[in-house]
Amino acid sequence: MVNLEEIKKEAKKILEEGKVKYIIGYAKSSNALMAAPTFVKKPEDIDKLIWDPTCFQNLVKFLIDEKRKKAREKEPDTRPIGIFVKGCDSRAINVLLQEKFITREDVYIMGLSCEDVGVLDKKKIFKKLKGEKPEKIEFDQRKNIVISTKEKTIKIPLKEILAERCLECTSSFPVISDVFWGDRNNRSPKEPFKCLEQIESLSQEEKWDFWQQQLSKCIRCYACRSVCPMCYCDECVVDSINLAITADTTAEEKAQKIKWIEKSPESSENFGYHLVRAMHLAGRCIDCSECERVCPVDIPIRFLNKKLEKVTKELFDYKAGLDPEQPSLVSSFKDEDPEDFIR
Amino acid sequence: MKKRTGVFVCHCGINIAGTVDVKNVAEELMKHSNVAHSEDYVYMCSDPGQKLIENSIKEHSLDSVVIACCSPNLHETTFRNCAKAAGINEFQCEIANIREQCSWVHKDKLKATEKAKKITHSTVERVVKNKSLEPISIPVTRRGLVIGGGIAGIQAALDMANSGYEVVLVEKSPSIGGHMIQLSETFPTLDCSQCILTPKMVEVSKHPKIKLLTYSEVQEITGYVGNFKAKILKKPTYVDPTKCTLCDECIDVCPIVVPNEFDLGLTGRKAIYIPFPQAIPATFTLDIANCPGLLPIACGKCMDVCEPEAINYDMKPEIIEEEIGSIVLATGYDLYDKENMKEYGYGKYADVLDGLQFERLLSASGPTMGEVLRPSDHKVPKEVVFIQCVGSRDPELHCAYCSKICCMYTAKHAMLYKHHVPDGQAYIFYIDIRSGGKDYEEFVQRAKEEDGLVYLRGKVSKIFEENGKITVWGADTLAGKDIEINADMVVLATAMRPAKGAEEFAKKLKISLDKDGFLSEAHPKLKPVESVTSGLFFAGAAQAPKDIPEAVAQASGAASKAIIILSQDQLFHSPMVAKVSLNLCTGCGMCVDVCPYDSLSLKDNKAEVNEVLCEGCGTCSATCLRAAIEVKNITPVQIYEMIDASVGG
Amino acid sequence: MAEEFEPKIIAFLCKWCSSAGSDLAGVSRMKYPPNVVPITVMCSGSVSPLYIFNAFQKGADGVLVSGCHPGDCHYIQGNFYARRRIALVKELIEYIGLEPQRFKMSWVSAAEGKKYTQIIQEFVQELKPLGPQKKLRREK
Ligand SMILES: Cc1cc2nc3c(=O)[nH]c(=O)nc-3n(C[C@H](O)[C@H](O)[C@H](O)COP(=O)(O)OP(=O)(O)OC[C@H]3O[C@@H](n4cnc5c(N)ncnc54)[C@H](O)[C@@H]3O)c2cc1C
Ligand code: SF4
Ligand code: SF4
Ligand code: SF4
Ligand code: SF4
Ligand code: SF4
Ligand code: FES
Repeated sequence: MVNLEEIKKEAKKILEEGKVKYIIGYAKSSNALMAAPTFVKKPEDIDKLIWDPTCFQNLVKFLIDEKRKKAREKEPDTRPIGIFVKGCDSRAINVLLQEKFITREDVYIMGLSCEDVGVLDKKKIFKKLKGEKPEKIEFDQRKNIVISTKEKTIKIPLKEILAERCLECTSSFPVISDVFWGDRNNRSPKEPFKCLEQIESLSQEEKWDFWQQQLSKCIRCYACRSVCPMCYCDECVVDSINLAITADTTAEEKAQKIKWIEKSPESSENFGYHLVRAMHLAGRCIDCSECERVCPVDIPIRFLNKKLEKVTKELFDYKAGLDPEQPSLVSSFKDEDPEDFIR
Repeated sequence: MKKRTGVFVCHCGINIAGTVDVKNVAEELMKHSNVAHSEDYVYMCSDPGQKLIENSIKEHSLDSVVIACCSPNLHETTFRNCAKAAGINEFQCEIANIREQCSWVHKDKLKATEKAKKITHSTVERVVKNKSLEPISIPVTRRGLVIGGGIAGIQAALDMANSGYEVVLVEKSPSIGGHMIQLSETFPTLDCSQCILTPKMVEVSKHPKIKLLTYSEVQEITGYVGNFKAKILKKPTYVDPTKCTLCDECIDVCPIVVPNEFDLGLTGRKAIYIPFPQAIPATFTLDIANCPGLLPIACGKCMDVCEPEAINYDMKPEIIEEEIGSIVLATGYDLYDKENMKEYGYGKYADVLDGLQFERLLSASGPTMGEVLRPSDHKVPKEVVFIQCVGSRDPELHCAYCSKICCMYTAKHAMLYKHHVPDGQAYIFYIDIRSGGKDYEEFVQRAKEEDGLVYLRGKVSKIFEENGKITVWGADTLAGKDIEINADMVVLATAMRPAKGAEEFAKKLKISLDKDGFLSEAHPKLKPVESVTSGLFFAGAAQAPKDIPEAVAQASGAASKAIIILSQDQLFHSPMVAKVSLNLCTGCGMCVDVCPYDSLSLKDNKAEVNEVLCEGCGTCSATCLRAAIEVKNITPVQIYEMIDASVGG
Repeated sequence: MAEEFEPKIIAFLCKWCSSAGSDLAGVSRMKYPPNVVPITVMCSGSVSPLYIFNAFQKGADGVLVSGCHPGDCHYIQGNFYARRRIALVKELIEYIGLEPQRFKMSWVSAAEGKKYTQIIQEFVQELKPLGPQKKLRREK
């Protein structure tokens, strides 16, 4: 069992020792169902820290901001950043290491095992509450959640309101860490890709209808991209004209910009965006589901990424973020890679 | 400035014009805002056609051209030169293939014309975004490397050195000379092999431009044409050649006797030895694998007797690094392993020999001082059976290819045997006689007629030892009868194989081998001495079975190819190479992983291209998630426009 | 009678094998339908998924990517990377409901003019019943 007091003790210690620049962790927010990211800089502030199933955000995204900030500083503080990570989040760190976006020395990884639980899916709870606003929540034996609203108090089994990804999670503990709390028990959900079956069983036209309906909702706010720890590119191919600007680029060329994908939220462009993004996340997406969580129009983005996760596993026996030393999915190959689809 | 492109549509007689309305293509393209001039002509590649292009470029101040014609594989160079002659950059000329990929494969003129328009339009889009490029020049290290010191390597090294270039010659054994130095007399002229080879060996050792590294092996070659780096391991000989006086004292005291490689085990040698008297370099080598031990010293007898103190047990392996412009590989051959030829009793019966062993027996400096004697009892063999094609031309069990030289050396062997033992009888089993080569057929005929050799066409079915004789069962297919010969000696013309370790060596150097393990040339007809790696050439039996004249001719060919590189002030490389947009690159290194030529590296967290190594394959650009790397003149932006034009309205 | 639907195919051919193979089809005067417009690239490994999506967005009814057989790539291994990348593209576009027949990959060597011809013939035959590709096409 993860003991919050031990976590705080370690956090306090490393802050006092000056071992880290600051710690990115979770604290209570005004929204009872959602922990807020917090940046603890002083030892006396560690009591803010919490650890429970409301800590669903992936804090790794903040490392990207930190890197950008550091790049602008003249004399940056080069101490590592302390960061709390769950199993999925830790794999995001591995991908960033693999892609050399950060170095191991940049982070002090504080690993938290989700053990047999996981994190909440806010949307599932909202459905259960039918519009009532939660005032207070408590966890009962890590089995149930007890939610109090103005009107009433209800008890819901955690199973029913855990995030889908947690229900399908195969390694609910960090695969890389400097300190670690909780157990390292592998979970083995029988069908880790069960969620895809529904779509996979559709006919081709039904698939199209499904995605057409879903993706036509996209307003191209790019919240999904902004929250994704893997979407750290300075300039996304989807925005950029992708004209390599070098010393010999003429003004005229700059003026004749082309875009692979237009920003307008039309069907073709929306498909373009999501296809490109899904391709770019193949072998990189670690299924933190942040993209889907933040989507204001509830597009099931996870089903796209999860599909490629499945394909990647089945065709290439590759899983994202397991090992920072492994070559990237698309920058490697095996002689025996399948080619039965090739004429 | 807006590009001014010219479009030139070729009729190719009726080859194109028969199916494509060339006038219509030219007219259509004229509508393109970048096209300043377009026209069609019956044969663009003809002299008047080229003149027409040149004049139009000047007249209409064109800065780029598209020639809609046959495949770029045919006339790209022609038209690029033509563009260059008219004063525009050659990379501002692109070919739209409307013949092989259009007029020749379609019938419907209307549709073929529409397609030709799209292809040409797409090419115009490309050229409009083409940059003027200059071939990348690379400096040349004017120094050659020859690997393998057989006749082929010796010849190549001498030719290069005599042309004025420094050459490093690396030989893995203690002396140069290769297999030729083991031979007795050579067909078809019967000159003594050592007599004609040793002068060349001496020339090598004395040549001021040749750096000879024997007992050495190339461990690694990096770099590229004109600029290779070779890492060479020089094994310790434990004898300082500058002090050794060849007094032989050490041999006398050395207690260890092992089979002598030079005589193919027909004699023994000591652990400290000189391979043969005329060895180059002329010095002794202490064979550490067979010496009872130097550290700690287990014997030390040789050192004790060596007066000039040439023996030094502290000698260490040395890694020598050499910078090289071009390389000739001449690692030669070995004979097919005894292991594989058990059915002939080879390796089992002392009097069953291979061709090279028989050469030693014939050699005046050989184990028997040139007398043909049986290894088992030193008697003169009165009946000798020679068997050709042992392991060759046997796709089921052994090597599928013909070893080429065995017919000739077997005739030579039998002839020389008869010269030594005039009352002896020589039988030769053969499949057929291949004696193509100057004076070769005459040589074989002479052997048959003058020396009374008995040629038996057929295969040998069994060989076994009985009462001190080697019984050979075979068939004479011409006479249609079985034959049994009770011979005193059997000589097998075993197949020629690539030198031992060639496969490993090739892997290390990233050279491709053919199915039989010989070095594989870039083109079987037009590039017989070139490898696919530019700057690397082949000579001798390492490339295929060969006799001496062929090995020498190929060596001179390879040397001249190598010299072509060394004689350049600089070399040129296609400028269509990768280019990184530093603002987009995040330094993820995925491109570095995929590049087949190791031309990419990360520097300050950004990808960096070594333009000289880049072959412009574009794999990096499709891998990069940020489209931060692209190949010049075939960039994603160009492809974008080409897709537009190719899909059409 | 309404005119028969003629699919538009964009074929990304590697320069060394597939483009040369299609040249051979020409030299041998083989015949195939004119629906395909080739874009010759250096290697199948240089075909970015962006090109494929873009071709569909611009209204291609079918897209072909063709390279050298495994082991024969002029650049040693470009086609191995392509094989992986294209497998992903293929799975993805089928998953979102585009007709799988619309996207093909093939190995065509410089000696396989006949194979190239057959591939194009088959491709056109498979695409005809599907009608125009409108799913990913941009509205104009
Ligand atoms: C029995 C017999 C009789 C023959 N008689 C005749 C004849 O009468 N007339 C005739 O024209 N031809 C004859 N030949 C053929 C002749 O031997 C060859 O044509 C000739 O020796 C080929 O020379 P080479 O330099 O290519 O190879 P080799 O002579 O094999 O020389 C290769 C050299 O490279 C060295 N080497 C190998 N690997 C490495 C390495 N990795 N690094 C460094 N060094 C290496 C070897 O030690 C060797 O010194 C005969 C052959 C045989 C088997
Ligand atoms: S999928 Fe959702 S979050 Fe992403 S851009 Fe579209 S609307 Fe925004
Ligand atoms: S979608 Fe692709 S290009 Fe865009 S930010 Fe994400 S990874 Fe980068
Ligand atoms: S794509 Fe979504 S689930 Fe995958 S890493 Fe990004 S935010 Fe997480
Ligand atoms: S793959 Fe792209 S982003 Fe990554 S290092 Fe290479 S050029 Fe840079
Ligand atoms: S184009 Fe090919 S050879 Fe050149 S850097 Fe890219 S991957 Fe390497
Ligand atoms: S060159 Fe043909 S696939 Fe690479």
